[in-house]
Amino acid sequence: MSRRTRRLAQRTLLYLVLTGCAVAYIYPFLLSVGTAFKTDPDATAHPLNPVPSHWVLTAFNELGQADFLRWLANSVVVAVLVTAGRLLFDSMAGYALARLRFRGRGAVFSTIIAVMAVPGVVLLIPKFLVLKQLGIYDSYPGLIAPLITDAAGVFIMRQFFMSVHPSIEEAAKIDGAGIFRTYWSVVLPIARPALMTLTILSFQGSWNDFSGILIAHQSPSLDTLTTGVGRLVSGQLGTGLQYPLQLAAAMAMTVPVAAVFFVFQKYIMRTGEGAVKE
Amino acid sequence: MKGRRLTTVMLSAGVLALAAACSSNGGFSSPSSSSTAGAKPNKTPLTLMFGSSGPAETSAVQAAAAAFTKQSGIKVKVIPASNLTQQVAQGFAGNHPPDVFYLDSLTFQNYAKDGVLDPYAPTMPNATGFSPVLKETFSYQGKFICAPKDVSTDALYVNTQDWQQAGLGAPPANWSQLRADAQKLTTHGRTGLVLDNSESGIDMFLYQNGGSVQDRAGNVVLDSQQNVQALAFVKSMLASHIMKFPPQLNAGFSGQAFGENKAAMVITGPWENGTLQSDYPHIKFKVYPLPAGPTGIHATLSFTNCWGVPKDSKNLGGALAFVKYLTAPQQEMKFSTAFGVIPSRAAAQATYMRAYPQYAAFVRELSYAHPDIAIAGATQAISAYSSALAQLGSSDPASILKTAQRNLQAVVNSSK
Amino acid sequence: MNLLPRRGSLRRQEAAAGWLMTVPAIALLLVFLVAPIAMAAWVSLSNWTGIGSPFASGVSSVGMRNYAALLTEPGLAQQQLGESLRNNLYYVILVVPLQTVLSLGLALAVSRKRLAGRGFFRTAYYFPSITSSVAISIMFLFVFGNAGVVNAVIGYLGAHGPDWFDNPSGVLHLVYSGLGVTQPPAALADHGLLGMPWWEWLAGPSVAMIAIITLAVWTTSGTFMLIFLPAIYAIPAELEEAAIVDGANAWQRLRRVILPMLRPTLFLVLTLGLIGTWQVFDQIYLMSQGNPAGTTLTPAYLSYVESFGNQQWGQGAAISFILFAIIVIFTILQRLMLRDRGAT
Repeated sequence: MSRRTRRLAQRTLLYLVLTGCAVAYIYPFLLSVGTAFKTDPDATAHPLNPVPSHWVLTAFNELGQADFLRWLANSVVVAVLVTAGRLLFDSMAGYALARLRFRGRGAVFSTIIAVMAVPGVVLLIPKFLVLKQLGIYDSYPGLIAPLITDAAGVFIMRQFFMSVHPSIEEAAKIDGAGIFRTYWSVVLPIARPALMTLTILSFQGSWNDFSGILIAHQSPSLDTLTTGVGRLVSGQLGTGLQYPLQLAAAMAMTVPVAAVFFVFQKYIMRTGEGAVKE
Repeated sequence: MKGRRLTTVMLSAGVLALAAACSSNGGFSSPSSSSTAGAKPNKTPLTLMFGSSGPAETSAVQAAAAAFTKQSGIKVKVIPASNLTQQVAQGFAGNHPPDVFYLDSLTFQNYAKDGVLDPYAPTMPNATGFSPVLKETFSYQGKFICAPKDVSTDALYVNTQDWQQAGLGAPPANWSQLRADAQKLTTHGRTGLVLDNSESGIDMFLYQNGGSVQDRAGNVVLDSQQNVQALAFVKSMLASHIMKFPPQLNAGFSGQAFGENKAAMVITGPWENGTLQSDYPHIKFKVYPLPAGPTGIHATLSFTNCWGVPKDSKNLGGALAFVKYLTAPQQEMKFSTAFGVIPSRAAAQATYMRAYPQYAAFVRELSYAHPDIAIAGATQAISAYSSALAQLGSSDPASILKTAQRNLQAVVNSSK
Repeated sequence: MNLLPRRGSLRRQEAAAGWLMTVPAIALLLVFLVAPIAMAAWVSLSNWTGIGSPFASGVSSVGMRNYAALLTEPGLAQQQLGESLRNNLYYVILVVPLQTVLSLGLALAVSRKRLAGRGFFRTAYYFPSITSSVAISIMFLFVFGNAGVVNAVIGYLGAHGPDWFDNPSGVLHLVYSGLGVTQPPAALADHGLLGMPWWEWLAGPSVAMIAIITLAVWTTSGTFMLIFLPAIYAIPAELEEAAIVDGANAWQRLRRVILPMLRPTLFLVLTLGLIGTWQVFDQIYLMSQGNPAGTTLTPAYLSYVESFGNQQWGQGAAISFILFAIIVIFTILQRLMLRDRGAT
């Protein structure tokens, strides 16, 4: 076998494997979308066929009767505020920890590293108690504030600033700009790539958070998509196994986050590639 | 200057955290069991929390609350819970439990033991009118605590079309007839009998065989010979494929299997009636009392909720007035009409039988119904037992019962 | 023109700004991470039943009794903790290596400069990562349902798929019985740990757990692929070229050049994987509630139901701390292991 044919074979194999994987990752989504438009018997009779034998909107009608739009609005509010809060607080703290010299900096940084190791699930019960104590249980602040708390984000930002050479800020400082001024108009623009990463992580994290939201509220009017749709699965609405309805809910709640994903896709997918070109 | 201000900020953050950590007692005094029936209603709005079986129940409860507000001037905030037990627990932990809530018989035991419920039930008008099995369910250490909301019993649902096709006559009167009928009803793609794969779907067989879950003293007696035989009977039905559990038929629960005609008979309760009518209107069925055991013992399980009222409610008088309103016979009938439950009061039950003769079996069975297991602190032990029963087809009945006996008796011992 | 401030005041200004900028993040951490830990620590030592505040006068310390009930006293609590630890251990043992290898493989493949459709492949692999656990759980209930996708595929192949979410058989037990060992040897049946005989510890993940493990690997490999990518790009091209000139084949290049360069990232991925997999909760809550027969029970879910469901808040909190300890131990172990290999 010549070298060329061997390389051709290798390449073909690579594409075959990659395509196989891609099918495994995408086909479940296609099936879910298709099944959402099926009737119940059709869903279980032809699970592998993403095309309904006849198209029905029953599932979406039922979803409309549930509070889907309300859940959507709540999810948007939570995700946007959490993302904004994290960007601001994490970048400030990350910058201070990377650049500014102050007493207690080491202690603060160690604390952040230590609490990063605390598994979030462990804190479900006590977090609920704290929310209640602060009087923000079952309110929007109660949904949002605990999610803004983000040791990992501070860590990411600090690591980023450590990796950036301080010369530009030094120049700004010599020009007489104050620390906050420097931070706002010089540092933040430099930090764009890291902020993008943080935006995506935060939005996705808060949009998809289930357990935190679960213990932070009791009024159905505060349900987000995760807890609202979660109810459909755990059978609380007496739905039983209605794949079309459940999959319709699952797909509908994925649409907004998918939209955000495709808008920011170039930032997400380019991670690192740019670094090598620069 | 700036440094000092910063310290202040840091300090206040610390204090905030500390305040969160070291909160003071929020007014829950030690358990007492004195009745507080004398409490006068005030205008503090009430909250009602309930777990809904569907839109029909939600709107019926909302309508009842609105009517009460109109009559009494007390506002009621109606909260359909997504996870009732958890949310009520959150309420208690945060000192703001709902003023009125659905309380299942198991969670009732926990709260009654903690002494946080108002023992108002005997003060309700005509308190003796509740079915005896229900009063027993909601009594703790001999005291009747909260008013039963409604009741459901398990009965035998039979698909009349399948029944006629199989050429069957009278409904099964005992286990051997049940087996024979299930056999005849089983065809390709349809199973004769379907049960829910949990303790509440199976335990009635124990009672029908003369067994029990607890004795009068409250000790667990699950590992009796009668119980082993009963489970062996169920297992033999599973083994001959004339009986199945819903997951084997790709159904979420027995009612769904029945609605999709994957099951010709199911043992389930009146909560299925609404679903059957709305989702599977073409299915024609009849409801019969459960067949008796080998020695002729009739038994079924009863499931119920009461109207829980915390004794520290800010408007205890209002909450009790509301419960009085909700348990009045006419209101109970309204709930029955809306979402199929059986009224908890004998008077309303008689009305129910006249209005729904096709469902009379549920009420008739009340005289020999046994409450579903409820032992304080036993949620985990019961769910372990339940999931062991779900595997009955491939496990040994005696060892399932032995394990459950040990676990449940340990819970009973620990609370003695 | 500004006057240059004196050195001392500049220092002080910097210190003040440093604190001011870290205060919001620190305050949140104190309130929502540190304070809850302190509260949970107290609750785990108390007899609090979930009524009122855990610091109320009626609540008293029971010392280590909650921990004892879980760790040393035979009973349901101990047995369920044992079960949940076994289940989660198998989950970790399977998910962490699988997701790491898969994500590294995908990252290496899609980082090739001359790969057509590179963007498409990346998007495809990453997409499940952005989808919520709720949506994914619903999809997998369908995919692994009795009449679902997986069983339909198995059916095409002429076999009969299992009732995934209803099958508690441990896959290792199935393997043993395939080898003819159906009854446990006495040594394994009569002795055990945490109320469970060794034979049960060696059951392997249940068929139901395999479905959830598949879900986890499928969902997270995209995230980790994305973590690997920048690190792969950061490997200097000259290094690889030099290796090619030396006549190293692809496998040798991977072992000698790429993996050593990726060591820090690998460490990060393994650590994140370990921490994440020990915390599996959402999927259990939504898909199985610990069923069938307790084979998908995990410590995180057990802690939740013990507290909110069974009102045993002390035990629930104690389970949280045991879980915490396990995560710390595993992270340290893994660190030691990676460091050792680095030295040789």
